[in-house]
Amino acid sequence: MDHSAYVDAAAATLGLKISAEQRPGVLQFFALAAGMAELLQGLPLQPHDESGNVFLPVPPQGGPDT
Amino acid sequence: MNAADATSIAAQVRDGALSARAAAQRSLARIEATDARINAFSARLAERALKRAELIDVHPQRHKMPLAGVPFAVKNLFDVAGLPTLAGSKIERDAAPARRDALLVRRLEAQGAVLVGALHMDEYAYGFSTENTHYGPTRNPHDLSRISGGSSGGSAASVAAGQVPLSLGSDTNGSIRVPSSLCGVFGLKPTFGRLPRVGSYPFVASLDTLGPFARSVQDLALAYDAMQGPLSGPPSDDPACAQRPPQPTLQMLSQGAQGLRIAVLGGWFREMALAEATDAVDAVAQALATTRLVELPEVERARAAAFVVTCGEGGALHLPDLKTRAQDFDPLTRDRFLANALVPAAWVVQAQRVRHWFARHVARVFETVDVLLAPATPCVAPTLGTEWLQIGDRRLPARASMGLLTQPISCIGLPVVTVPLWGMSAAQPQLPIGVQLIAAPWREDHALRVAAQLQASGLCSAPVAQGL
Repeated sequence: MDHSAYVDAAAATLGLKISAEQRPGVLQFFALAAGMAELLQGLPLQPHDESGNVFLPVPPQGGPDT
Repeated sequence: MNAADATSIAAQVRDGALSARAAAQRSLARIEATDARINAFSARLAERALKRAELIDVHPQRHKMPLAGVPFAVKNLFDVAGLPTLAGSKIERDAAPARRDALLVRRLEAQGAVLVGALHMDEYAYGFSTENTHYGPTRNPHDLSRISGGSSGGSAASVAAGQVPLSLGSDTNGSIRVPSSLCGVFGLKPTFGRLPRVGSYPFVASLDTLGPFARSVQDLALAYDAMQGPLSGPPSDDPACAQRPPQPTLQMLSQGAQGLRIAVLGGWFREMALAEATDAVDAVAQALATTRLVELPEVERARAAAFVVTCGEGGALHLPDLKTRAQDFDPLTRDRFLANALVPAAWVVQAQRVRHWFARHVARVFETVDVLLAPATPCVAPTLGTEWLQIGDRRLPARASMGLLTQPISCIGLPVVTVPLWGMSAAQPQLPIGVQLIAAPWREDHALRVAAQLQASGLCSAPVAQGL
């Protein structure tokens, strides 16, 4: 799959300048990540399969947990 | 003396048979004599170390200090007061010097250890080879033409070279286990969230873990025990720190593997390894008298989850510098960081969900097994500059592939001790290769006990490299 249009658009959106020297490497590594992402999308998950990234609320200083 | 481990140095200093100052001087002299060839150290702290050692020598509690006079060094992503925290980069040379040592450095020094320097690494911990373009490669002490592994290459190389008996590194996707394997030293990657990361430069907050390298299992346990414990400051200083009370391991080592259920990991962990790596696992399995084979589900997807989480978090972390000074990144990391900054959120969120799915399924496996065996690297250390690795019919990029067997494990934060074996490669019998001893979350004691038995049997050892 050709990701170059996405890469150019995303880079422009983020204000990231990718030089001609960098572009082949960036496209190569983005394609590698895309292949990994495709693998991940292939695992059937249910809506209740939650993220492994859990937020920890921050209590005020001096509370019982500090 | 350069072959002495931390346990014996501390015993001598406690007894007064050796002064902490003399131990520090010998370490500094060894670094001076060998580091031009190895390039493990980015900073040597002679003045600080000798001053600290002199304080230990007159300390009224010296005879009780578990790490009395033990020289150690840290990957240069740990804050060291007065030094900019480089994290292997050129960019951070401009950063203000750290005002305080990293928490784990303080904890080791509180037990009597003496910091002698900071160590090279892959830029921002993003690599498995420590072929750092800014600072030159850190060479493998057992064969100077080969990589030390990474990203904690300096940490493993300094221990293998006998420069220090103990070092600290970090492991996000394999950065303690890969260099431990390639340099032939013992390494401990604790459970994710076990040791606080206060005062260390982050890479991937969801995965980053700190841990020790040493030439004996006793030293690993000694250092690990000294570093355990919840944060002394607010939990928000390191939200990932699980704040668990210390669970000392040193006194448990003598139990060995007795009563533990041990199995070899099959599937991905056999397919993505050369014979030297699977032979090492088989030798360990034989020594532990286990023939049981276990397969984890969806290992390749677990590796992909770690890969994509790394992309998302690592890319976002460095976006400001990528926008303004991309040319200052190491060419070996720059294009990857640029690509990572563009990764869609949907991929990263899915990776985090897959990660949790995998963790739940592996937890079921640990209901019937205590320690799993797998190679730490697919092969022994490649020569510097190696671009490709052939595994079966797959031609893979060599540097990234060093983490093929570690990434699925750190993806779900499991504790691992890496133990070194020798003579497994027919072509390179002088080179070591590591085996991962993988335990359930918070059971570092299980992995350390098995490691201690393997060391006692003589199968696993970490000799100082000769001829440096």
